Amino acid sequence: MFRSLLVPRVAARSAFKQQSLPTIFTPAIGRRGYATSEEKDMVIIGGGVAGYVAAIKAAQLGLKVSCIEKRGTLGGTCLNVGCIPSKALLNNSHLYHTVLHDTAGRGIEVGDVKLNLAKMMSSKEDSVTGLTKGVEFLFNKNGVEYIKGAASFTGEHDLKIELNDGGERTISGKNIIIATGSEAMPFPGLEVDEKRIITSTGALSLDKVPEHLVVIGGGIIGLEMGSVWSRLGAKVTVVEFQERIGGPGMDVELAKDSLKFLKKQKINFKMSTKVMSGDASGDKIKLELEAAKGGKQETLEADVVLLAIGRKPYTGGLGLENIGIEPDEKGRLVIDSEYRTKIPHIRVIGDCTFGPMLAHKAEEEAVAVAEYIVNGHGHVNYGTIPSVMYTHPEVAWVGQTEEQLKEDGVTYNVGNFKFSANSRAKTNLDTEGYVKILADKETDRILGAHIIGPNAGEMIAEATLAIEYGASSEDIARTCHAHPTLAEAFKEAAMSAYGQPIHQPPNVRK
Amino acid sequence: MSSLATACRLSARLTARQLRQDSTARGFRTSAACLAAQNFTMPALSPTMTEGSIASWKVKEGDSFVAGDVLLEIETDKASMDVEAQDDGIMAKITQGDGSKGVKVGARIGVLADTGDDLSTLEITPEEKEAEAPPPKELKETKVTKPVQETSASTDKPSKNVPLAPKGKKRSFPSTPAVASLISANGMAASDVEGIKPSGPQGRILKGDVLAYLKTISEKSAKDMATKYDKRSTLTEFVTQGAYAPSDKKDDATPPPKAVVEDLEVAVPISMKAVLEVQKRIESTLGVFMPLSTFIARATDVANDGLPRPKSYQPSADELFNDILGINKVVPANGIRGSFLPQIGALPETSFSKPSKPARNVDIIDMLSGKGLSSRVARSKSKPGLSTSVNIFSLKVPKGDEKTAKIFLERVKTVLEVEPGRLAL
Repeated sequence: MFRSLLVPRVAARSAFKQQSLPTIFTPAIGRRGYATSEEKDMVIIGGGVAGYVAAIKAAQLGLKVSCIEKRGTLGGTCLNVGCIPSKALLNNSHLYHTVLHDTAGRGIEVGDVKLNLAKMMSSKEDSVTGLTKGVEFLFNKNGVEYIKGAASFTGEHDLKIELNDGGERTISGKNIIIATGSEAMPFPGLEVDEKRIITSTGALSLDKVPEHLVVIGGGIIGLEMGSVWSRLGAKVTVVEFQERIGGPGMDVELAKDSLKFLKKQKINFKMSTKVMSGDASGDKIKLELEAAKGGKQETLEADVVLLAIGRKPYTGGLGLENIGIEPDEKGRLVIDSEYRTKIPHIRVIGDCTFGPMLAHKAEEEAVAVAEYIVNGHGHVNYGTIPSVMYTHPEVAWVGQTEEQLKEDGVTYNVGNFKFSANSRAKTNLDTEGYVKILADKETDRILGAHIIGPNAGEMIAEATLAIEYGASSEDIARTCHAHPTLAEAFKEAAMSAYGQPIHQPPNVRK
Repeated sequence: MSSLATACRLSARLTARQLRQDSTARGFRTSAACLAAQNFTMPALSPTMTEGSIASWKVKEGDSFVAGDVLLEIETDKASMDVEAQDDGIMAKITQGDGSKGVKVGARIGVLADTGDDLSTLEITPEEKEAEAPPPKELKETKVTKPVQETSASTDKPSKNVPLAPKGKKRSFPSTPAVASLISANGMAASDVEGIKPSGPQGRILKGDVLAYLKTISEKSAKDMATKYDKRSTLTEFVTQGAYAPSDKKDDATPPPKAVVEDLEVAVPISMKAVLEVQKRIESTLGVFMPLSTFIARATDVANDGLPRPKSYQPSADELFNDILGINKVVPANGIRGSFLPQIGALPETSFSKPSKPARNVDIIDMLSGKGLSSRVARSKSKPGLSTSVNIFSLKVPKGDEKTAKIFLERVKTVLEVEPGRLAL
């Protein structure tokens, strides 16, 4: 039945081809040697979040697009060995931890609780496979050509691809997008084997819970992976060079409180401490530590060492020297505000260029770059890129921190509301943390929002929208929020920024 | 035919002029589109641009130009850019000469007329803000033969009136809760609200702007906040805006696509008669009602298949080489699959109140006779919605794609008018 419906329309189509498009065959005289090369409107190197989003967006805007990825699966670091698998482990390890330690008080009696790490890992794999296959499906549906292989420049428009299945092909693009992402920063003296000396990649697939995991670097990645293995039973020690955790972007007040909460979860911290050297030759890995300001030395023995001191742009093997594009001193490719390199049709987005190394930032740039190419204008507001740390409680922020405002000489109001005064948090027995809103003293415009607490990562969307639209804290306070929700804490914090909150004694902190 | 068109337009203009004198016909003169000449305003070359300087005009008064010609060069604090004509026309008047500094976005810098317009009889539209204030009689006297406005007048006005929002666009955003509450708490009238200078994104009024208007805080605070916000919205590492933009397209062997692609409108009138007949037949025989939209969607689908490559397509090295050898350009065997989605509007009755600009060479008779299927059928000619008789199918396409778009529309026309029966299957 269905088939018979289709035939006449197909016939109608082919009739058109016959009528209006007479094909002309020209003898291939004097062809230049590009027999296998074909030209696309846009060729994207890298199928990570930046690359695949740019590919789909450009295809939707009518371009002929190819996306080259050598990993074998799409989605890049984020989907394969980053955001996604880590969230699978974070969520499941949190459940395990809750069942193990936090059920009696809630009136749930549980018998033996056992960890099946292999099963936990395979459930993580399922999420990853589902999502990467989903991207492949979207490529298919949007008509994006997916080439599995490693590309390198042979000319300003031409790429050579070493195919994963063997063999080689060439492709040329009117526009070429470099979206090759980033890799973990190595630590001198500690050779990564992803078994005992691991990066975030190895931390997502350890085959047993290590006895003692030492995390070098107390940034977001280190704290998230440290949390996972700590919840699963490892002794975790985080060694951080700075006096504070969370990296430079986190508001100091939140960093301090987050440290407090994580210490309560039995994660050990060695702050203001640097790792001088490491020795992995023995049964245990020996790390020589020293106080950052010099002086006190100590030795730490670890079963597994996680290197989480940051990430750096990954542009190796691209043959950039063939076209004269050079990275800056930090390895980033230099671009203008429309993502062009000095060769205007080659553009760069995502982790391998400027800006925070975040998947959602890369995604914004990917849409913008496709729009720049097709429409001539795009939009990324770098002032409203949120950050989230998925520890428990979560930490999320957008806009400026108190420290940055002080530095800028801006006078501001602080609105603060504790989750312990929020009804939903109370019923969930999950009341750690607070919402802090920073608004300009005179105009009341929201300049930053900082949340530590349950579901902070979801709640930050409201703050981002508010800042994008130039909202004042009064605007938020006068907007209805459903009851009972955690989001009410956000509203009350806004109330306390310009006036007084209802459900909290006034002037808890001003 | 063209003289007939001119005559029609002339009479239309005369009628319009008559109407303008009649104070009861206010509705007819509020829109600049009704008038023969168009104000040419300082364009916003970037989302954050608020003012610019005119480096030099590339056309003189009275010069005619075609779409794509560079009209003038504008300098901002960040870069200097060429402004290209969006449409064919004549430079009727330049009101802001070379070297004018700090011209606000949206302020008038010149007046454009249609190709073929007689400049000596042309009316110059006053600036939109003023258009509402002076009595109709004054309007009549503004002719191009006299100096229309002193330059100083037109620079003063916009700085007072033109907000950050693009000119002519009325603020249509709802007030934010805080703004609304302040407005009502202070008993501000609508005219007061008009006077508030917006500092928010896209010209939105923020709470700070109302406070500044009420003098609760200084105006500077609100402005500073906006500046700081703009500064934070970009990365400091970026090389200057547009620094790597291709400068001279001719030098490049294979030029990258133009940053700004102008859109052209291609339109074809298509009769729905045949489709309606088929629709009725299906309903009577099968009892199934197929909406018109289904027919159109299917016709679009069929017509999108195997389109020739657009003009803007950059030929490959092989094709260029063949071109040098004198071998004709190869049309790829299967063509490409288009993704055109036509805008559909019903063709209204003839109306003299809208002597709209782009319709100069095509009139209703042309369209109905199917002759002058120019690529410039005005969109204002059609009303949104689907008519049961003749509809205008139009497409906005980047320059260079109009041929493909036309082929596409002709196919849609053939399918819908000749054999819509196939689509029902």
